[in-house]
Amino acid sequence: MKRAYLIEMTIFRDYAKQLLGLGLIVSLCIGVGMQTPLAMPATLTVMFFMMGAMGLAAYDELNHWGLFRLTLPLSRRDVVLGRYGAIVTLGLMGMVVGLVGALIAIGAVSALGIGGEIGEAFTFDESLTGPTAFVTSFCLLMGAVVASVVTPLYFRLGQTRATQLLPTVIVLLFVVPVALLGNSGMLDGAIPGLDLLSDLLTALETPAGMVCGVAACVALAAAALAISAAASLRLYEKREL
Amino acid sequence: MSGSLIEARGLTKHYDGFSLEGVDLTVNEGEVVGFVGQNGAGKSTTIKALLGLFPVDGGEAQVLGTPSAELSRPSGAATKEQVGVVFDAISLPEHLHVADVGRIYERAFATWDAHRFSRLTAELGLDARKTVKELSRGMGMKLSLACAFSHDARLLILDEATAGLDPMARDEVLDRLRDFVAEPGRAVLMSSHITSDLERIADRIVCIDNGRIVFDLPKDAITDEMGIARCRVADLERVAASGVIPERDLRYLRHDYGIDLLVPDRFAFAESFPEVPVDRMTIDDYLALTLKGGVR
Repeated sequence: MKRAYLIEMTIFRDYAKQLLGLGLIVSLCIGVGMQTPLAMPATLTVMFFMMGAMGLAAYDELNHWGLFRLTLPLSRRDVVLGRYGAIVTLGLMGMVVGLVGALIAIGAVSALGIGGEIGEAFTFDESLTGPTAFVTSFCLLMGAVVASVVTPLYFRLGQTRATQLLPTVIVLLFVVPVALLGNSGMLDGAIPGLDLLSDLLTALETPAGMVCGVAACVALAAAALAISAAASLRLYEKREL
Repeated sequence: MSGSLIEARGLTKHYDGFSLEGVDLTVNEGEVVGFVGQNGAGKSTTIKALLGLFPVDGGEAQVLGTPSAELSRPSGAATKEQVGVVFDAISLPEHLHVADVGRIYERAFATWDAHRFSRLTAELGLDARKTVKELSRGMGMKLSLACAFSHDARLLILDEATAGLDPMARDEVLDRLRDFVAEPGRAVLMSSHITSDLERIADRIVCIDNGRIVFDLPKDAITDEMGIARCRVADLERVAASGVIPERDLRYLRHDYGIDLLVPDRFAFAESFPEVPVDRMTIDDYLALTLKGGVR
């Protein structure tokens, strides 16, 4: 698995460098646009998870690399686990870049003495640490879920066919349920367990609740990726290259 | 199985419109086996089946003693440390630099020899800073071959690996293949349409057509013993009537100016029919007579 992971990272290195630079600029734009540094690591985390999953899959079909890779001393299991390792690495890189971008923005606003709404928004505020951590970990969960949905499809169908199908899959999984729930009136308060959700959100406002929330998001993200990796493994082992 | 680096028995795989039908193929230690056939005959499919890149519908194959089906599983992947594979075009993402390709192989193979790779790429005129996309087809093949020669493989599986190489580069590669196979415990399976390459280095020629093995012969049996007789119609009738060539082996190709006749033993034929010119058989001639020739 380690070999496959290192090969993935070698192949993705140049693109990752571009992503880092681009990500830093995007995070600054988001931070300034939303007038808060809180969203910067969160946005980049989800963005890097998605770009990692899709970008890595794109290389598989270049010059039949996905086929040739299996002539190297790698098993299909190595390839799948290496891919998930690389996706997680890139997602975490996005988080780090977002945090660095947020710190740079806060430092720059302070150093340049920028006042007004932006100056106020980018003043270092210790009370924002918890919300930033939770929002970032929640976005990590979203990114991990998206990567978990798309990656098995890439392994089973290849990048070209999977990309043709993905919009339909995304709509079916993420849009149709919301539309159905909205039309059913359940979102107006009739969803069972809505009180529990409300209690959980309230609990997040406490330090202990925040830590539990972050831990839950990370655990759910890990679970989603683990289930997805198991599915990818089964699908890729049956795939004829 | 002793001494066989590749052994396939009855490999069968069915696709829409094409099937591999009971392919038998053996590559023994010390051999260069030339694998020939028309486009779409099943050469690449056979090679992919040997490498375990897809499940087969029947038969079995082993590479270096490991069942092909195991090669992509954790239990068999390590066997591929000793197998160098080159396909008919460079099979790496095109944004990679030549030096990156070396890094990828270094990560993949425990036995990777970075010094040998650097020396080979320099000798083959490959610039480490160029990307795969910037390489011509021939240069890409040189890069693939440099990789295959740099991890101490015991077995090379080459699918049209000399296609796109200029004559001088082909000569160099063929010399390296000869040197490679001269070491104990090594062998080469090489599919190619460039039969002159195989005439230079192959020990055995295996031909596949329409998914079936058509012949599997020592190369010398074709190029040293066989001949191609340039006959007129009357000559053909006379040869057929003489029984010098058994009826079942009588294969010929008609041309505008005469008939080419496959002669199993050109020296014996020349003694029996000194007035009929007999040329040395080439692999191309033998392929044409076998695949397209008529039988009486």
